Amino acid sequence: MAQLDVFSEEWCKLWKDMLNENAVFAKYNKGWEGDLAGVVQADPDNNFPEEQYLYLHFHDGSAIDVKMITKEEAQKCKFIMTGPYMRWYQVAKGDLDAVKAMMQGKLKLKGNLPYVVKYVKGVQESIKTMQGIDTNFPNE
Amino acid sequence: MSSIFSRFVEIDLVDKRVTDFKVSPDYIRDYIGGASLAARLYLDIADPGVDPLSADNPLFVMCGPMGGTNFPGSSRFVMCAKSPLTGIWGESSSGGSLGAYLKKAGIDGLVIRGKAVAPCYLFIDDGKIDILDAADLWGLETYSAIDHLREIHAGEKKVSVASIGPAGENGVKFASVCNDKAHHVGRTGMGAVMGQKNMKALVVRGSGKVPLADEAGYKQARKNTLETAKESMITMSFNQVGTAAAMEMGMMTGDVPIKNWSVGLDDTIPEAIGGSVMVETIVKKRKACFACPIACKPEVVIESQKYVMDRGPGPEYETCGTFGSMLMNLDLAGLSKANERCNQLGMDTISCGATIAFIMEAYEKGLLTQEKLDGLDLSWGNIDATIELLDNIAYRRGFGDKAAEGSADLAANLGNGADEFLVTVKGLELPMHDPRGFHGMGLAYMMSTRGACHLQHSCQAVEQGMVAWDDAGLEEDYEGPSSDGKAEMVFITENIGQMANTLCTCHFVHWAIGMENLIDGFNAVTGLGYNLDAFMKAGARAWVLKRSIGNLMGITAEDDRLPARVLTPLEDGGSEGTIPDMSLLKREYYQLRGLNENGIPSAELLDSLDLGFLKERLQAV
Repeated sequence: MAQLDVFSEEWCKLWKDMLNENAVFAKYNKGWEGDLAGVVQADPDNNFPEEQYLYLHFHDGSAIDVKMITKEEAQKCKFIMTGPYMRWYQVAKGDLDAVKAMMQGKLKLKGNLPYVVKYVKGVQESIKTMQGIDTNFPNE
Repeated sequence: MSSIFSRFVEIDLVDKRVTDFKVSPDYIRDYIGGASLAARLYLDIADPGVDPLSADNPLFVMCGPMGGTNFPGSSRFVMCAKSPLTGIWGESSSGGSLGAYLKKAGIDGLVIRGKAVAPCYLFIDDGKIDILDAADLWGLETYSAIDHLREIHAGEKKVSVASIGPAGENGVKFASVCNDKAHHVGRTGMGAVMGQKNMKALVVRGSGKVPLADEAGYKQARKNTLETAKESMITMSFNQVGTAAAMEMGMMTGDVPIKNWSVGLDDTIPEAIGGSVMVETIVKKRKACFACPIACKPEVVIESQKYVMDRGPGPEYETCGTFGSMLMNLDLAGLSKANERCNQLGMDTISCGATIAFIMEAYEKGLLTQEKLDGLDLSWGNIDATIELLDNIAYRRGFGDKAAEGSADLAANLGNGADEFLVTVKGLELPMHDPRGFHGMGLAYMMSTRGACHLQHSCQAVEQGMVAWDDAGLEEDYEGPSSDGKAEMVFITENIGQMANTLCTCHFVHWAIGMENLIDGFNAVTGLGYNLDAFMKAGARAWVLKRSIGNLMGITAEDDRLPARVLTPLEDGGSEGTIPDMSLLKREYYQLRGLNENGIPSAELLDSLDLGFLKERLQAV
């Protein structure tokens, strides 16, 4: 399969499909209800000129939706995770653990933390799944 | 005017004499306060060969220099003495309000010597110190003693009370000191040292204002610190989920010990006793220590059919480990009750629970029988029998008398291969962080000056990625199950962590606020003008000083090792198939630290840290 641009429609769709085929994700996300916005802050020096908003909606072990949304829509999500583009890039490449990134303040989480902690394995597995996509990043 | 070191007091329980004593300015400059200063004073007045459970073992109660101010997390206090559990340097700190009140009473440290002829307690009412009769209190559990003393000493300003329970009175080697019910001087048996002295409690009222060296600087430093703490995910995590969040996180990374360190993964455990389920079911509120912006202490209510618990202090992560995953107990109500009983009886939940896990494995292997256990069926997961055993330990009844000596003593007496599943370093049971998941933690356990410990250093926060302190020479990201680069990481994080224990600051707050804020606050309070280098050097000095005391108490390179169980690879989980490279870690660490092949600080190291006075004494080791 050809390389897909990060945050493109095809990239989002593939991630969603891969999640729905992932039994480990289904196991650890079971019981989860709610949507999460990833706010990817602009970084013109790394060829990422505008802030973008990634939307993930999981429900009881399934990926309902993965897409890009507007800032206004992002602000309505149950969970909002915010960080500079390069931090997200490091997470996507597996160079930075998402949980460590949150603890160290490199990514900031808004939302019910005990809930995220309860499903932390599902969160980790969703990222691991995304790392399986052959992705074209703008800074590479 | 600096807040530090206005008053040190020696209390002779034999003659009921209270005497102020001077501490040299050199000591204050080099050792600052807390456990570090206690260690230096210990060398002046005590024989390291002393029997820990004798009148000649002095007990130190020390504040940090920032105690009593409202600088975040700065008001812990520490108790230090030779440990009856390990036979080496013992220290254990507690949060709450007592450290702040002591400092607000104008006192920086107490040295308690001798043994009272009859039960007594200390009452510090601002500057006035009395040794009072405790005949009516002796035999009471900690919560009752604390309630009683609060009532006796009720006044306009409330008191803070630290009391031992039956375990301390009966010389249980891992007896703790319970401070205002929710806080505990837990590790290394300081409760037994108090009990040996016939000292039931310490009651403190402090209403003074702690002076500051630089009021404007302090105000700014505190403001900056609070802003940093507010933004920190550590603050959010400890406040919203509590320390028990480590159960969910740790199950993923291989941090959580299961079934006496023999199993690597069990997803049912965090689902039953993890931080998020505690929040959903039993936690009613979070409480804070004096001047703490985090507020991590869980207040819980238990209303199960079997166990009922009025609103009160709930279990922390360590206790969820020792009375949960280690015992294969998934009953959160039973776990909370075991935690409460340990608190009330006055026992360290880490050493106590870990000792019971050892007993359960000995029972499974047939080294102990139900008959030998006074009829208790200590099969894995049996929390009811565990709770019954707690009283037997505290009152030294039947088999409880043997368990009260700790797991190392039990293993030595059982023989027959029991040491293969004994999990201690230098006689202290490991806390609930598996060194197979985090090799640096393994080295930190090996080298800790009080035996296996997760809070004599900041290794946990750094190696698990909760903090990244590049200004201190640390890397941003360490791989847990790897030994590469860990000797240097442990060396640096020990120096940092020693300063938290010298300053009597909370490790969690320190993790949330970072190095710069802490040093700014310290300088504004004390006027000592430390930079990061001086700070790290003072931490190194504290470590080497305590290590030297350990050497004088018999510690050699032979003792710097991990137990066999945690050097056995696990078959699953986050640490599957990996163990710390003990030989590499030890070799690299010895070189970095400057220990000779016998594990003793070199003359050059001692000179470099202004500890030259130890050379002669260490030569005799």
